[in-house]
Amino acid sequence: MRHKILFVVTVAGFFFAVMFVPAAPLQASPSAAQAAASSPCDRSCLNGFVDQYIDALVAHDPSRLVVTKFVKYTENGQHIELGDGFWRTATGKGGYKFYVDDPEAGQVGFEGTMQEAGHPVIVALRLKIENQKISEIETIVARGGMAEGGAANLDKLAKPRAGFEEEIPAAERLSRLDLIRTANQYFSGMQKDDGKGDYSFFGDDCNRLENGMQTTNNMTPMGGMTSNGAPRPAPSAKYDPSTNPTSYSAGWSCRDQFRSGLLHFVSLIRDRRYPIVDQEHGIVWAFGFFDHQAGDTRNFETPDGRPVTAGPTTPFTWEIAEIFKVRHGQLHEIEAALTQGSYGMCSGWSSYEQCRSDQPQW
Amino acid sequence: MPIRSAAMVAAMRQTILAVAAAGVFLLAFSARPPGTASAGADCDRACLNGIMEQYLAAMVAYDPSKLPVAKNLKFTEDGVRLGLGDGLWATASSIGNYKLYFDEPEAGEVGVYTVVQENGAGVFLYARVKVVDRKITEIETLVARKQTTSILNTDNLTQVRPIFLETIPAADRPSRAEMVSMVGKYFDGIEQGNGDIVPFDKDCVRIENGIQTCPGSPTSPLGALSCGAQLSTKIFTYIQSVSPRRFPIVDRERGLVLAAVRFNHPATQQTVDVPGRGEMTMGKYSQWPNSTQIAELFKIKDRKIKEITAVIVAQPYKMPTGWE
Repeated sequence: MRHKILFVVTVAGFFFAVMFVPAAPLQASPSAAQAAASSPCDRSCLNGFVDQYIDALVAHDPSRLVVTKFVKYTENGQHIELGDGFWRTATGKGGYKFYVDDPEAGQVGFEGTMQEAGHPVIVALRLKIENQKISEIETIVARGGMAEGGAANLDKLAKPRAGFEEEIPAAERLSRLDLIRTANQYFSGMQKDDGKGDYSFFGDDCNRLENGMQTTNNMTPMGGMTSNGAPRPAPSAKYDPSTNPTSYSAGWSCRDQFRSGLLHFVSLIRDRRYPIVDQEHGIVWAFGFFDHQAGDTRNFETPDGRPVTAGPTTPFTWEIAEIFKVRHGQLHEIEAALTQGSYGMCSGWSSYEQCRSDQPQW
Repeated sequence: MPIRSAAMVAAMRQTILAVAAAGVFLLAFSARPPGTASAGADCDRACLNGIMEQYLAAMVAYDPSKLPVAKNLKFTEDGVRLGLGDGLWATASSIGNYKLYFDEPEAGEVGVYTVVQENGAGVFLYARVKVVDRKITEIETLVARKQTTSILNTDNLTQVRPIFLETIPAADRPSRAEMVSMVGKYFDGIEQGNGDIVPFDKDCVRIENGIQTCPGSPTSPLGALSCGAQLSTKIFTYIQSVSPRRFPIVDRERGLVLAAVRFNHPATQQTVDVPGRGEMTMGKYSQWPNSTQIAELFKIKDRKIKEITAVIVAQPYKMPTGWE
């Protein structure tokens, strides 16, 4: 995927990623604690809400849900009526189910495959539960050519990769904030990637799926997706600067894609929200937008000073739900569901200022 | 959203101040829709077109500082509020010869359709600028790009079709409300699958994103049907609603109405039974829920819709236009 968008940090961006910490933990913890106090809903309870939701969705019957009076529903960033959009077109469940639970915050994420009018789609869903009622529903539905092949891959997997399911020993668990901070380095590193950052936040075994397609360490050329003007190179074995690559490869590792500096065309990663954190499993669920300004950020230099022109030729935005596995302070498994949005669009879940900002929210 | 509300409040204040300053014009304009009164009373057609020229030139020069903008300027591209300088500003390299202007000096509004080169490819731009006290307070744009629309051919857009430039004799000009009503019937006709309720001229031509879509080509699945007959086939059933609808510019002198609308496609139906032809597939927009934002210009002459041209951009389902 062209979006492939990956990383690297401008020096400023990385510095920022390290520095953003203050104040936030004080905001994050109380709200999570409040949610837990007012609406005890453990993992199985949260997953049960997801299952009920999917059943109701396929039945095209939102009245089956227990929702709060002012429940809010968004689909691909648009605030629409519960029962509209995918609620009218979903035709079946798929074979892939990935739940991310955050009982402390009363939130659950779900990435899975489904059917819409007979076509496979990939769905990212976030539910917020308050007092045993659904108060927030946020969905991304990835459709069409860029999702169909990947959905088949996910169906073959059937469940999340083993790394995601591995529990983190209690003594090794990071705080919510440290988990978020680790994940946020990925976005800060990719934004205007210059290949000169510290990418030690990637584990050596880091691997990424985007809409079900393996976009790192993949030596099999991907099919079924077209790029939005960005070149999609044939995979090469390893990142080798001496070969003067002009675009990054899905064959490279997570870290090498950032090191190449060839993701510079991802001009801004904004409206970064981290609503779901599973400390037991070291998992962070993020939402954000990847902007490709398509102007001067298409022209840049690699770390060794070679001029390169790359990236989409029109202003372009990916709307993304991205799931990160953090072990020992490093990113290992990464998985995203994404859809093309209108350039610069907002999520419907943050202020306009937050929508335009690359500062993390949690 | 806080900032949007603040900007709207500020814009309203500005309008109120402008209206108050206009003083004696108040009564004369009292029948006009709210928000349009006297806004551009001191900026005639040539003045408005000149400001639009400045806008296009500043965009290609990538220099917003050249523009006379109001403090509370609002700028959208494809329904998204952006900072001036972002979007097409960052990618535009030149403007083509095709420039179709339309003006409503009483409202301080000017619009244009033109072709812009963006990283080596032609895109079709609709821009609307509102001018108050010779400063730009609103800029609304839609940009049809190959990546964001199902059809586009800017190669066809080299010269404005002469009918758009024709002046309607003063005695023959319908009122603003009458013109808006006629265009509204076009959208009603789409929703109802009924061309008979639309005041089409029998030779009406519609060109969307540079491609003529009615009368149809004799080789198209529906054949060479007129604009009205096309609607009556029900082939546009996938367009469940045309909402919201705005009519920000009515150029009575030229008989032009600019409609800014959103077509909503819930994709609950992929095929339709066309009388006399049987079941037909409705195409891309019926595959999954989506919307299109459209800036559509209508030429009204002899109280009939003679010609239509439009910029169409695909959008997430029911995405707000940014101006409601």
